[in-house]
Amino acid sequence: MSSEAKLDFLKELANIGTGHATTALSQMLGGRLFQLVVPDAQMLPFSEAAEYIGGLEQLVAGIFIVVSGDVGGHMAFLIPFDSAMVLVKLLTGDDSGEMNELALSALQELGNIMITSYLNALSKMTDFLMAPSVPGVAVDMAGAVWESVLAGAEVTNEVTVIRTEFFADGESIEGNIIFLPDDDDFKKIARVLGLGEM
Amino acid sequence: MTEVFVNMGEISAFKTQGILTTVGLGSCIGVTLYDAVEKVGVMGHIFLPRSRPKDKDALPGKYADTGIPAMIEEAVKLGARKSRLKAKMAGGANLFPNLTTNSTSIGQQNIEAVAENLKKHGIAIIGKDVAGGHGRKMRFFVETGVVTVTAIGKEAVEI
Repeated sequence: MSSEAKLDFLKELANIGTGHATTALSQMLGGRLFQLVVPDAQMLPFSEAAEYIGGLEQLVAGIFIVVSGDVGGHMAFLIPFDSAMVLVKLLTGDDSGEMNELALSALQELGNIMITSYLNALSKMTDFLMAPSVPGVAVDMAGAVWESVLAGAEVTNEVTVIRTEFFADGESIEGNIIFLPDDDDFKKIARVLGLGEM
Repeated sequence: MTEVFVNMGEISAFKTQGILTTVGLGSCIGVTLYDAVEKVGVMGHIFLPRSRPKDKDALPGKYADTGIPAMIEEAVKLGARKSRLKAKMAGGANLFPNLTTNSTSIGQQNIEAVAENLKKHGIAIIGKDVAGGHGRKMRFFVETGVVTVTAIGKEAVEI
């Protein structure tokens, strides 16, 4: 399988996963529609992984989940701070703009539901068990959140990143769902889907 | 003045003057080495505590056990005397504490590994701002040896 075909395959996974995740979000938010931006899949050298998300000093809400089972990996859901506050308001009715305990637990639950939907879609397609851990949530500099995710994933010199960006029509909600499959585990998915060796 | 950003796994150095900066330290550690006589400063951005065989192409600065010796070598190359080097460190936070309830966080492992490797080389740690649950930005002013640490929404503090 060519590297181009491999990346196309990873993008397709991202599309399916994020499609299900945003459908779940839409149901939570009374049917709001979300648009997916063309997904991005890359095999990055470690030296480029840090800057992959950009805006390292910007404030974001980050939800982090460890995936275990037949296919393992790590998932991060990164939301710019302003979008996170819009989501909090829609979910809890609290429009104080404060990132308090209630807001954090609402985001944690939202991340949980979205990431579970993402993984369920991939599980159904492949028959592989992909179980999410409890989600961790942090509001901090994007760089600090992203770096902690990469360290949690203990990435080596080649980092497989699958990312989909989404936004809502007419509302300032946007976010990124990023999947870091464990070394070689995405090859299992390709194999079971009959895409041959990668 | 020239400011250089030190990304994860990288090591950068200046002699006489310049600013070495690392942004978005989460569980990683920003480490500085300084020879105040020669005004030689080195900054590393350590990612994990120990090098691993499966990551054999890694930059030396990615791991504490390979990074600290590589930083010392860099300082000596620029004219520093090893016996005069002093260290400062920041980072090693745990942003997702509920994911590490049964184990030592990577941040804490990094703090211990950096301290241990510095000790092995007889280098004292004269300033630090580590652990906790928040990200940090670290800046190292090589002309004076001053190191500042900033957390989001806070003023920079000197360590």
